[in-house]
Amino acid sequence: MKKSVGIMMCVFLLCTGPLSAAEVKVGSNTPLSGKLSVYGEGFQQAMLLALEEVNAGGGIKGRPMQIVFEDNNSTAAGAVSAIQKLITVDKLPLIFGPAASSNFLAVCPIAQQNKTVLIAAESAAAEISKCGSFVFRVFPSDALQGIGVAELTQSLKYDQVVLTYINNDWGVGLAEIFKKKFTAAGGKILDEFAHDEGKTDYRSEVLRIRKSNPKAVVNLTYIKEGATVLKQAYENGLKVQWLMGSASKSPKLVELAGEAAEGVIGTYPTFSQETPQYKAFKAAWDKKYPDKKIPVFGEYNYDMVKLTAKALGMAKSMDPDDLRQAMIDAGKGYMGVTGDKTFDENGDVGAVYGRWTVKQQEIQDFK
Amino acid sequence: MSYYLQLLLNGVIAGAVYALFAVGLTLVYGVFRFINFAHAELISWGAYLALMFSSPPVSLPLYLAVIPAIVLTAVIGLSQDWFIYRPLRRGSPITLLIASIGLSYMLRNVLRLIWGSDLMTFSLPPARAFEFSGYYVTGIQLLMLASALLFLMILYLLLTKSLIGKSLRATADNLELAAIMGVSMPKVSAVVWTLASVFAAAGGILLALDTNLEPMMGGANLIKAFAAVLLGGAGNVWGALLGGLFIGIAENLSVAFFSPGYKDFVSFAVIFLLLLFRPRGIFGLLTGVR
Repeated sequence: MKKSVGIMMCVFLLCTGPLSAAEVKVGSNTPLSGKLSVYGEGFQQAMLLALEEVNAGGGIKGRPMQIVFEDNNSTAAGAVSAIQKLITVDKLPLIFGPAASSNFLAVCPIAQQNKTVLIAAESAAAEISKCGSFVFRVFPSDALQGIGVAELTQSLKYDQVVLTYINNDWGVGLAEIFKKKFTAAGGKILDEFAHDEGKTDYRSEVLRIRKSNPKAVVNLTYIKEGATVLKQAYENGLKVQWLMGSASKSPKLVELAGEAAEGVIGTYPTFSQETPQYKAFKAAWDKKYPDKKIPVFGEYNYDMVKLTAKALGMAKSMDPDDLRQAMIDAGKGYMGVTGDKTFDENGDVGAVYGRWTVKQQEIQDFK
Repeated sequence: MSYYLQLLLNGVIAGAVYALFAVGLTLVYGVFRFINFAHAELISWGAYLALMFSSPPVSLPLYLAVIPAIVLTAVIGLSQDWFIYRPLRRGSPITLLIASIGLSYMLRNVLRLIWGSDLMTFSLPPARAFEFSGYYVTGIQLLMLASALLFLMILYLLLTKSLIGKSLRATADNLELAAIMGVSMPKVSAVVWTLASVFAAAGGILLALDTNLEPMMGGANLIKAFAAVLLGGAGNVWGALLGGLFIGIAENLSVAFFSPGYKDFVSFAVIFLLLLFRPRGIFGLLTGVR
């Protein structure tokens, strides 16, 4: 039943023919109401800024570009009905996906089945990489965190570490990636084990770390668990360099662990604010929205629209396969506000990682 | 070798706190014949009340804040009995069990309403542990061990030397017969609920001092206490005590053999195996010492 509906939709879509000659339309599945609407408004403003620039620069091969916004009520169910409307009623071949990884994951099979190009600007779940060939994102996958931490460990010249991670899909997946990257570069894992989420006593775990007598411990965990481990390690006189990911980068970690958090080093995804692209974006933003700060993920939404416009300009036709190929070609070496947007085979982009540390009870950039 | 001894030491300390919870749980079971799921919330309430009395606007020093916290937790425990369990006492044990689950949700959510779901701490500065020839023990851990010993000692004296303790044991043995013999039921139930609440609150405060506070803290420890109760044979106070110690030691030693991520597995495995093979508990032989 589901399959036949899918096939019907495909046929429907393929028969619709060229879009109206006047405008090049793309869809956007955006949280304009509901709990994410505080962010959604900012996403929309960033997209509109990019759109304005595209059209001021001549649009797509001389035709103006238009974004059809569809509200998804910040829910997975809302996101599904929004994408169905954009695909079947508006017949749009390219759609900007919803925020929140869970909402995005709900719509990506629909896009893939209907051969509609779907792009994410703020969804991080590693799972999204498996969505399919028509799904792209300009935001780095969580999986890269594992690589980021491995690079951090190597650059600090720790070639033997103990690895511990939180015992859930996220932690186990991250640890796998870390291990692969770290050992491939000649690193040695002295001991590795998972620790449970939400416990209050990690002393035995700390003892097990001490047993291998490491200089550094890679701890891929959240805030609460991270703080408890740090505190109990400090109490037990374990002196190691702690290396962590971005999920524990929070003032709460410092509040909970106190002095025990001092000197921790971690990574987090970031991009340079010194590039000409960023400076141009910042100037344009301040001009269009003089009293508004740049919203969370605004830069990614801006890059998404700009890159899409480039791809639409390069596409041989509005045929799904041509569009998909154009996205890949447009991304190659494309330097956006948020850095290099070259897509890999999963439609993912790379990331640059910043480094954080705790100094005098404050989270600072590590230099 | 010293690695295993340190694990054993940590196990004894964790076990002493589990024993505090298990003893309360088993006392209630021994007298009223139902497992009080809301026992978990007495643990959290004790800790949160201590936090409340030690932070503004009351700002008592912590060692004083503990007193009103424990007293108030006992009041909660007694009201549980008075308003919920007493009217239902003539019903089936299932009714009481379900009532206690409902009560547990209610108490936990009231706690959330007041203090929120976020983590809180007593903000004690982390202190280096004492080192005794290679073994590490923190001040809080010593306090945990000492308080557990103190509370259990008081319990021992109360149960064996005082009249009320003896009537409590008589009631646990046979509720109706004890009532016929003139044992005052309201008095016994007041003592049982007070003891259970005080032990839970004390354990909760110690746990919170050691780590931090969150609304779910009681639930996680109730499972351990439950395993300890089963191990000791439900209703058997000294069995629960030994059971608590056993669970603490077993789960800490398990870290040496498999991933600490599966530490909680030990208490669940104990529950599972006991229910299958020894439903009356390992210490079922010692029923005389109730």
